Amino acid sequence: MERSDAPVVIFIGQPNCGKSTLFNAIAGPKAQTSNFPGTTVKHTHSLVSIEGRLLNVIDLPGTYSLHPTDPAEKVALRHLFIEKPDAIINVVDASILGRSLELTLELVEMNLPMIVALNMTDLAEKKGISIDAAQLEARLGVPVIPTIAAHGRGVAELLEAAFRCLAANCRGTRPRWTNDVETAIERLREAIPADFSCVANPRFTAIQMIESGHLFCADFLSEIAPDLKTCLDEVRTELSAKRGLPAYEVLAAERHHLSQKIFEESGRVAHRIRRGWSERLDDVLMHPWLGYPVLILVLLTFFFAIFKIGGPLETLLLKPFADLRLVLEARLDSRLLFHLVDGLLQGIGGGVAIVLPYFVPLLLLMALLEDVGYLARAGFLLDTFMHRIGLHGKSVSPFILGFGCNVPAIVATRILESRRDRILTSLLIPFIPCSARTTIILALVAFFLGPWWALGFYVFNILLVALLGRLLTVFFRTSSPGLILEIPTLKVPALKNVLLKVYVQLKSFVRFAWPLLIGGSVVLGLIQSFHWDAIINTILSPLVAGALGLPRELGVTLVFGFLRKELSLLMMLQALGVGYRDLLTVITREQMIVFTVFVSFFIPCLSTFAILWKEVGRRIAFLSAALSVSVAIALSVLVRLLI
Amino acid sequence: MTLLQAPQDAPLRIVDIAGGENVRRRLFSLGFNIGDRVALAGRSILRGPVLVRNLDLGVTVAVGRGIAQKIMIEAADGTI
Repeated sequence: MERSDAPVVIFIGQPNCGKSTLFNAIAGPKAQTSNFPGTTVKHTHSLVSIEGRLLNVIDLPGTYSLHPTDPAEKVALRHLFIEKPDAIINVVDASILGRSLELTLELVEMNLPMIVALNMTDLAEKKGISIDAAQLEARLGVPVIPTIAAHGRGVAELLEAAFRCLAANCRGTRPRWTNDVETAIERLREAIPADFSCVANPRFTAIQMIESGHLFCADFLSEIAPDLKTCLDEVRTELSAKRGLPAYEVLAAERHHLSQKIFEESGRVAHRIRRGWSERLDDVLMHPWLGYPVLILVLLTFFFAIFKIGGPLETLLLKPFADLRLVLEARLDSRLLFHLVDGLLQGIGGGVAIVLPYFVPLLLLMALLEDVGYLARAGFLLDTFMHRIGLHGKSVSPFILGFGCNVPAIVATRILESRRDRILTSLLIPFIPCSARTTIILALVAFFLGPWWALGFYVFNILLVALLGRLLTVFFRTSSPGLILEIPTLKVPALKNVLLKVYVQLKSFVRFAWPLLIGGSVVLGLIQSFHWDAIINTILSPLVAGALGLPRELGVTLVFGFLRKELSLLMMLQALGVGYRDLLTVITREQMIVFTVFVSFFIPCLSTFAILWKEVGRRIAFLSAALSVSVAIALSVLVRLLI
Repeated sequence: MTLLQAPQDAPLRIVDIAGGENVRRRLFSLGFNIGDRVALAGRSILRGPVLVRNLDLGVTVAVGRGIAQKIMIEAADGTI
């Protein structure tokens, strides 16, 4: 079967139902999974072949209902409505089936071939809930396949059912609404003109219209189908008159109770939902007073674990590169050849010996933190402090992701409902030290001046973000909508999943970032051999030497820092023409701190700038760059005067 | 009585949600509808968010203080 006509199957489900884990089990390590609502914020495609049969599988961001409340959900719905998949796999969290079914009932109305993957049945059992899949299947009219994605159980049966469903074109039995709602829907359905571009089918479009918010682009409707518009208004006023609730609430309430009824019919709950270890642990994690020391402890262990693993690993790996460099220096006499080879060596050596020792443990700990579900708890604890800087708990997750890398963090702001929150959070994220800057802070400040200096730098950094947030809210006056953040149950992270996630991010580092490091170093080698670096240094010297009091040769390294932050560290050694060990002979401790402060804030790296442009627009991207440069210069000069 | 004034862990029932359409829709989509049995599962410090748990669904949501004041509740077994 040719690539393009493989049937398209989409995974859709509510946040945290295990969609991406299931997708990973089928399609291999593509999607990013974590235990925080809104991890998959952009969709991932994957062509999967099972015993020679091709399937085009798409993993979408989680959505609670077919009415989007944030940009991530809009991505899911655009895909569902416009791309018209051949079949839907609705992944459902068995431990909260009562709510998960609300989305299922909306999907069934689309009358597309569909299967329900009853996921996390093990978690449900632990809570004392056992679901009778056959009963649920009879009630919904679509195949229901119990799965445990984290352990890959039920995945084969699910795929088998997908192929059967595609062949037999199996569709669900549409739920019956109460009489007055049913007649209202039917009346509106008949009023839809034949040529009206319906989504999925007229009945589904009718229901969507009644339920949609801002009158479903009312003006567009009254132009092209005025009688449909009047019929819609009549139906709405009629429904709300009868029930004393706005029309959309009548439907929402009915679907809510229907889904709970189906849950009660097909599930047995042991007397009361049992309070497992997860709830008891939560009493401590989110305790008004105990929660904060635990949060600080988690962040401290985070920092010291990375430092304790990275430091020794770095010294160990640096040795061979330093020795090789000495040998080279003696052997190669021609200046150009030496600089080229030295550049290459610095690039490769830098990647292996300086970046990876800190990058890998950081990725591992971030993945663990996400999969356990601690990010949502941190969001709850930090919400009051976030209010001080005009944001709320939901921005905590993008901020914490920013410690890994700013790019996925800015994409993750899609879970924020209001654009104002998205812009404010995206403007602050470039000030969060990403893994590259963590490498610089640890490899320079911690390595030469001790871990407490580095920790001090992090605290200073977080206070700066808070201060900047406070200032920026002056310009972003509109108040942000209140916090509504789901706290998913704590989960024991599946090691396979965590390693998978680290592997995916490591692969993209090796494929994209490392070549840039090597390329940058080689280019600097070239510039040095032709003495162009002297020109760049003189141009920048008023800033570098004058304002910051740093050696002139560092001018060119700052330019390269725009490509990748680690470059300014690697090239600092190259520019000062000295090995890593004896750095302190050429630069004083104070200068090292000023250099770290300046490099950390002076401009978001190229990829962060590009993602800002794409996600929140050109104007904000340039505003962020200008903000970074001015803050960096002001801070560095201040730091220089103080120490 | 609003959710904020409720005693912790006592079974309650949502009587009404006074917020605008946006807040109501977001709460409905998370499984919190009028008539549901809920409980105030926890509070944060310094006027922070509260935790509200849907007893039938087993879903826990952190809700900002402003929104918690809009969720009208009564005791589920009529004691308050």
